[in-house]
Amino acid sequence: MNISAGLKALGLAALLSTAMVHVAMAEPTDRGITVALAVELDSLDACDTQPAQNANIARGNIYESLTHVSPVDGKLEPLLALSWEQVDELTWEFKLRPDVKFHDGSPFTAEVAAANINRSQPGAEIDGQEIACLNLTQFPEAVKAEAVDELTLRVTTPKVDPILPLRLSYADIGNLATQQTAQKSLSPVGTGPYQFVERIQGEHVKLTRFDGYWGEIPAVKDVTYVYRAEASVRAGMIETGEAQLATAISAQDATDDGRTVTYKDNRIVIARPNSFKEPFKDPRVRQAVSHAIDRDTIVTALMGIGGNPWYQMLGPQVNGYIPGFDETDALRFDPEKAKELLAAAKADGAPVDQEFVLVTRPDLFPGSDEVVQAIAQNLQSVGLNPRILSLENTAWRTYLRQPFPEEQEGSIVMLSHDNTSGDATFSFSGNYATCEGRNSATCNPEIDRLVFAADAAQGEERASLYQQAARIMYTQESTMIGIAEQVRLMMLGEGIQYEPNPLSGIEIRIADITFSD
Amino acid sequence: MLAFIRGRLLSGLLTVFGVVVLVFFLARLTGSPIDLFFPEGATPAQLDSFSRAYGLDRPLIEQFWVFLSNAVRGDFGMSVWQQRPALQAALSEMPATLLLTLIAMTVSVVIAVILGTVAAAFRFRLVDRVITIVTLITGSIPAFWFALVSILIFAIVYRLVPTSGAGNWQSWILPVATVSLGPIGVLTQVTRGAMIEVLSSGFVRNARARGFGSTRILYRHALRNAALPIIAVAGDIAASMVNGAVIVSVVFAFPGIGKAIIGAVLARDFPVLQACIVVVGVAVILLNLIIDLIYVVVDPRVRLS
Repeated sequence: MNISAGLKALGLAALLSTAMVHVAMAEPTDRGITVALAVELDSLDACDTQPAQNANIARGNIYESLTHVSPVDGKLEPLLALSWEQVDELTWEFKLRPDVKFHDGSPFTAEVAAANINRSQPGAEIDGQEIACLNLTQFPEAVKAEAVDELTLRVTTPKVDPILPLRLSYADIGNLATQQTAQKSLSPVGTGPYQFVERIQGEHVKLTRFDGYWGEIPAVKDVTYVYRAEASVRAGMIETGEAQLATAISAQDATDDGRTVTYKDNRIVIARPNSFKEPFKDPRVRQAVSHAIDRDTIVTALMGIGGNPWYQMLGPQVNGYIPGFDETDALRFDPEKAKELLAAAKADGAPVDQEFVLVTRPDLFPGSDEVVQAIAQNLQSVGLNPRILSLENTAWRTYLRQPFPEEQEGSIVMLSHDNTSGDATFSFSGNYATCEGRNSATCNPEIDRLVFAADAAQGEERASLYQQAARIMYTQESTMIGIAEQVRLMMLGEGIQYEPNPLSGIEIRIADITFSD
Repeated sequence: MLAFIRGRLLSGLLTVFGVVVLVFFLARLTGSPIDLFFPEGATPAQLDSFSRAYGLDRPLIEQFWVFLSNAVRGDFGMSVWQQRPALQAALSEMPATLLLTLIAMTVSVVIAVILGTVAAAFRFRLVDRVITIVTLITGSIPAFWFALVSILIFAIVYRLVPTSGAGNWQSWILPVATVSLGPIGVLTQVTRGAMIEVLSSGFVRNARARGFGSTRILYRHALRNAALPIIAVAGDIAASMVNGAVIVSVVFAFPGIGKAIIGAVLARDFPVLQACIVVVGVAVILLNLIIDLIYVVVDPRVRLS
């Protein structure tokens, strides 16, 4: 059984055991746990829950949203909204869950939901003061929400948006008082199964179980989140019993006694050649890059259980993922083919010998420096001329984002992209695929046509259009070259049961944790 | 005396002002906090919205003027990410830093003076060679490596202390050991050198000739005269500890100004960074002043003028 198959089997076993755990679960206990995270949160405001460091604590614990993406199948599920329908092209109505209380005892109503959605829109102001919410990137253009009655919410969009209910899964809901001010909330009040107790900056955040929760009362009573930058220290805290759950464990700290659990969160390591700069203006040079990279060897040897070879930019839970692509159409490792393509391009005048930069970041993913060095060697061996450039985040983004300065040299940017929404629009439209995309290094009118058509479509048609655009991007344009699917590691303490899922990178629901002893 | 103190404080504050000006402009050359926290797909309009909300869209010189005019009133602005005044964020980290510095310096000086004095008293003998080799090693061990190995041995294998944090007195042991390790090595060598020089001087030979015991000569006559270089080096080391025990912050998640500065740099939280620099600068000025005053107490020959 190879690693991939093993992980799939593990995932199946995980699902089965999760189901069994939920059945057997879980009288509420008086026990508490400590969770060791890598990075301290920035904000606990309901409109700042998109960054992982904030979401890890707030989402699904303190706050809940109207809708929720199922971690099992990626489908949209009701949460604080029981149902929704598209009234006309630009209008949606949501029926909200009754008898839901916030942690301060105030009721959850359509008025509160509308205030939350409106506050997190681009350009939102309260009392003349602009609010800068980190969640607003989920709304390319501002939507408007209003209460129809106590439990009916109406949301109007400036243009047709078939995935508005999905976008609202990113809009977490805080109580009305926190929504009537432009100030970010320091004492968050949500409807989730855990309520805020205290935050000591730089040290910890404490939550405790909300006994008035509308759903099932969870097993864990108290939660303390602490921050430890070193992965080995986080793993050590599990060994000593100082913590019961530790995230972002590195492969060398993994144990094989069942306490280290793996999960995939649709995060893909990608090489992105810039087709607007030499030597990558000729698509054959970019295709040669894909053929030159020996993913099987690099990923197996250098990423270990932390990765699988990959050829697309999306994970299998996203509707733009092309089933079977890796086996049939992918530009797989074939150095002779790469040399042929480069020779043909050179014969037509492409400067294939020109030096370019292979741009990376030290914190891209665990072991990324070694992986990038191996990729550089692969590229050199077929006749390309890369120079590794390891940059800090902000400098790295100057190579990632349009507009690319005139004087900037040709580049392949190494990046790690995730899409936990299940919809490719968040990756393609205005981002990596379209001509005007913020991070796009290509411009193909056919890709634009397909992506924009997909944005306005639904269901199977939407998925099919995204997949057609993706296929062109991978095989003809070859500007988003998948390298590895990242596998993430987490460690659990003795007696702790938790099955991580594709959303665990951004949302660790403490309510999903049970005790086996 | 008062004129001396006033002069020192004034020159120190001018230095702090210069450093703050440099930090203000250099930090902004490294990029904007906006780039760090928005997802890769954020549109320019969304980034602009955030920029306006935090005044980052204004011309740099205007930002500097606003900063200066507020800073003289003790207002360093609000932290971009902590949602509290930047000065409060910086000051809240100082007690842990000062206490760690005090404990680590006490441990370092006591151990170093004992070892250095013993090494000097038995110079070129086995005990001297052992102390010299051991302290050279402790002075050369990378603190980062020592921190990780000490966690592995003392926290994970033997469970004697916690791996990290600052929740109880046991959690201070490894951070203090990590911070003290280098200074023990350096100060032992300094003490040994100073003591050897003093022990070969005329007044020590005279004391021996008068029949004073070795212990009295070492600790009452020689050590007091060897104290100045030890105090000078210890002062420098203490200042660097106040500047921020960075390794301890990163590995042990130990609170302190070093952790605050790293966090502010990584997050481009300019108000907190500037407040931390001022707080550290003032602390170092006061520390240097205290060291100068200790000079006077230890050696009256030192003239304040």
